Amino acid sequence: MKKDLFKVLVLGLAVLGLTPLQSGQASAEGGQVLNIAHPVLQQNWSPLQGGGHSARWQSLSWAAPMYFDKDGKLTPYVLSSVESDDSYVNWTLHVNPDAVWSDGSKITAKDVVGTWNLSARPATKHARVNLFLGGVDGFNDVVVGKAKDMTGLTITDDATIAVKLASADPIFDQKIATALIAPVKISQAEDESGNEKADWWMPQNGVVVSGPFMPETMDLDQGILTLVPNPNFFGPKPKLEKIVLTTVADASTATLMLKRGTMDAHTELITPTIIQDLGADFLGGPALAKGQQFWINAKKPPMDDINVRKALIMSINPEELALAAFPDGPFTVASQILNKVPGVDPDFKKYPYDPEGAKAALAASKYKDAGRLPKIMFVGISTPTHEAAAQYIAEQWRKILGIQGIEMKPAIETYSGPDQKSVQIFRDDVGTRVPDAVSYLMGSIYSKSGNARNKLGGYENAKIDAMLEEASVKGVKDPDRIKLAQEAQRLFREDWVYIPYYYDVMSKWAMPWVQNFDKNDDWQVIEPWNVTIDEAKRP
Amino acid sequence: MGRYILFRLLKWIPSVFILLLLIYALVFFGAGDPIKLIFLQAPGDVAYDPDRVEAIRDAAGLNRPFLVQFIDYLGNIAHGNFGNSLVSGRSVNSMISAALPVTLKIGLTAIFLLSIIGIILGVIAALNQNKLLDNLIVGFALIVWGIPVFVAGPLIIVFLVLVMDMDVPYGWSGLFSFKVIVPLLVLGLNPMALIIRQARAGVLEVLSEDYVRTARAKGIPNYQVVVKHIMRPVLTPVVSQIGLLVIATLNNSILIEKVFGLPGLGRLTETAIKTSDYPVILAIVLIFSTVVMASNLLVDISYPMLDPRAAAKKTGDE
Repeated sequence: MKKDLFKVLVLGLAVLGLTPLQSGQASAEGGQVLNIAHPVLQQNWSPLQGGGHSARWQSLSWAAPMYFDKDGKLTPYVLSSVESDDSYVNWTLHVNPDAVWSDGSKITAKDVVGTWNLSARPATKHARVNLFLGGVDGFNDVVVGKAKDMTGLTITDDATIAVKLASADPIFDQKIATALIAPVKISQAEDESGNEKADWWMPQNGVVVSGPFMPETMDLDQGILTLVPNPNFFGPKPKLEKIVLTTVADASTATLMLKRGTMDAHTELITPTIIQDLGADFLGGPALAKGQQFWINAKKPPMDDINVRKALIMSINPEELALAAFPDGPFTVASQILNKVPGVDPDFKKYPYDPEGAKAALAASKYKDAGRLPKIMFVGISTPTHEAAAQYIAEQWRKILGIQGIEMKPAIETYSGPDQKSVQIFRDDVGTRVPDAVSYLMGSIYSKSGNARNKLGGYENAKIDAMLEEASVKGVKDPDRIKLAQEAQRLFREDWVYIPYYYDVMSKWAMPWVQNFDKNDDWQVIEPWNVTIDEAKRP
Repeated sequence: MGRYILFRLLKWIPSVFILLLLIYALVFFGAGDPIKLIFLQAPGDVAYDPDRVEAIRDAAGLNRPFLVQFIDYLGNIAHGNFGNSLVSGRSVNSMISAALPVTLKIGLTAIFLLSIIGIILGVIAALNQNKLLDNLIVGFALIVWGIPVFVAGPLIIVFLVLVMDMDVPYGWSGLFSFKVIVPLLVLGLNPMALIIRQARAGVLEVLSEDYVRTARAKGIPNYQVVVKHIMRPVLTPVVSQIGLLVIATLNNSILIEKVFGLPGLGRLTETAIKTSDYPVILAIVLIFSTVVMASNLLVDISYPMLDPRAAAKKTGDE
């Protein structure tokens, strides 16, 4: 018996010793393999989610209606052209006659309209469909389940769609230039009752795609996906042989794998030492129309007193705040809400860093001194970088104003939890996917935006709303469009409801040997077919 | 014995019911709304519309009263159906059936190895009490006991990659793979310290017993004295310790699986908690409680086998 046990142990060790060490998918025969580390064990890779980490890789497999190229130019893709009448209410979309699915069948107007209707239905849970199709006539009935289809979408013929908007929108064509509403083959995705079929997007179920790469395997339990070139892709031939997405949930492990070349890119990796670990190039990229701010809920005490808000904001040195989070860049210090888009206000008056002014403002408030202030709670302090920034803010408030009662919570979901009523400050980002100042502000300071309703605690300024509503129907070339947006932003400044933090860049999150990996404001790799790997630089 | 096991199982049912009710209530009322989280956790320009969120909750049946949902859930698990994930829509049964074997293989192997090695080291230390070997083993146990798993895991990876210039041992290719050695080591080292100390203390206690002295006086070889006369009474407290280690191993698996990319229940737990995906959370709680209950039951059953006095107490033959 004892001898048997000994033999089993020896055999076990021998098997362990003989098993080769497998270190990811190093290379396929002859071709180049791009290994991507994905931070979340993603159980759903449906292109109809409109968000989540998987949506960052949407352009690999799904061709957008249109997209913004490297120079920010609106470029046809599944749709060959889009035009409107003079009212900006009626639009005509033409499906690219060359656009085909990976099985060779044509992408039709029915696929486009079917996808958009399906995306809008509540059961699909698309996170951003409002942003792109919210203006289409009948959309509001579909998103709350009162109707199945938008009345404003009409299939004229196999390759033409007539769109009627509920009100004028001169940038509707830009709004639909996103991979997040990329058409899917509707007969595959939709069941008889009009809901999204379960797991239709898995290769095991024979999914057909429109993008340059199609899924070859999908092991959701292991968290490993492999993509291979789509032989029927209607764009340029993809250069990579294979793409492997592997779940690497731990940031330290992912960093080491990138450093060693086991991984080439990451979906989104943010650590305080990322520049030192992986180099500035990894995190670098073009400026992004997105900014991080600390949003103040002016309805919760003590923020209901503008003098308290002034005191808190004037205690913060914006340069030091951004440096606390990212000592080595590449992010830039924020001041106004608008960033990168045409219409950034050159005359915007920054909030001053003024410790004495801050003390005076606090003394002028109804609370008089720090001892009388209720506890201040931050949420969204979810990464070490944001933690460092929030610590800096807390320290400034302690030093300058004598505030002691500050609590920080990691995640925004606290918003929906039991502490919701006590949260006064949300750290979160806002931005836009279209190069338009009005769209940017409509998504951040307009009273009906998610940001104003939730992060700003139901912020509403009638003058700002009126200005933005007026601006939103003006043509993109009308100078009043930008002028009104800038005026609205200046008014917003006077309400003192945000602490400027930093402006994002569209980080490459790829090692230097990954070439042509540029991303656009839609957070997508712009030309996945052009991505290559410089093997000489790979470790 | 059969009646005893049956009695234990029957006692377990109300405990599990209360546990499930508590966890269900906790996630239902306190852990956040999974549908809201889909919107709130997405960065940037996400379109959060309360009316739409309500419509989605309606479509998912989440607006029904708490008790209705809970009873519905109990009905489903009574039929062996854990339902579908609220976030991904996948069947929880399929998620669990893929993840559970990985955690069990890793966990049981770690417990088996740490027990064997821990007992051997503990006995060696005791037999060499206050000598260099004893000090080395006890010192080693103290050090590994002082390093928590969440520190040991990343540290070992950093050491392997940056110092030893090796690849990160990442992913799962089955139990008989090199990649498993490091996670097993991390999972086993810390609790092994407990076994070493327990076994050492047990042996030292037994060494001074009359029957051990008698056995030695009879000229029985030392290894036979250790194996036949010392080990058996020492194993009883060690085995009860192993029952506790199962719980520790399950807890540690959450971190280990994340760090080393093992597709087990631990990694699934982390993902489910982050998204408040309560069908998945509840299924995992049920599985974990079953494993803990089963391990405690096994420990209880093994007592009479290891120590006849325990059997005598049960039958009243003392």
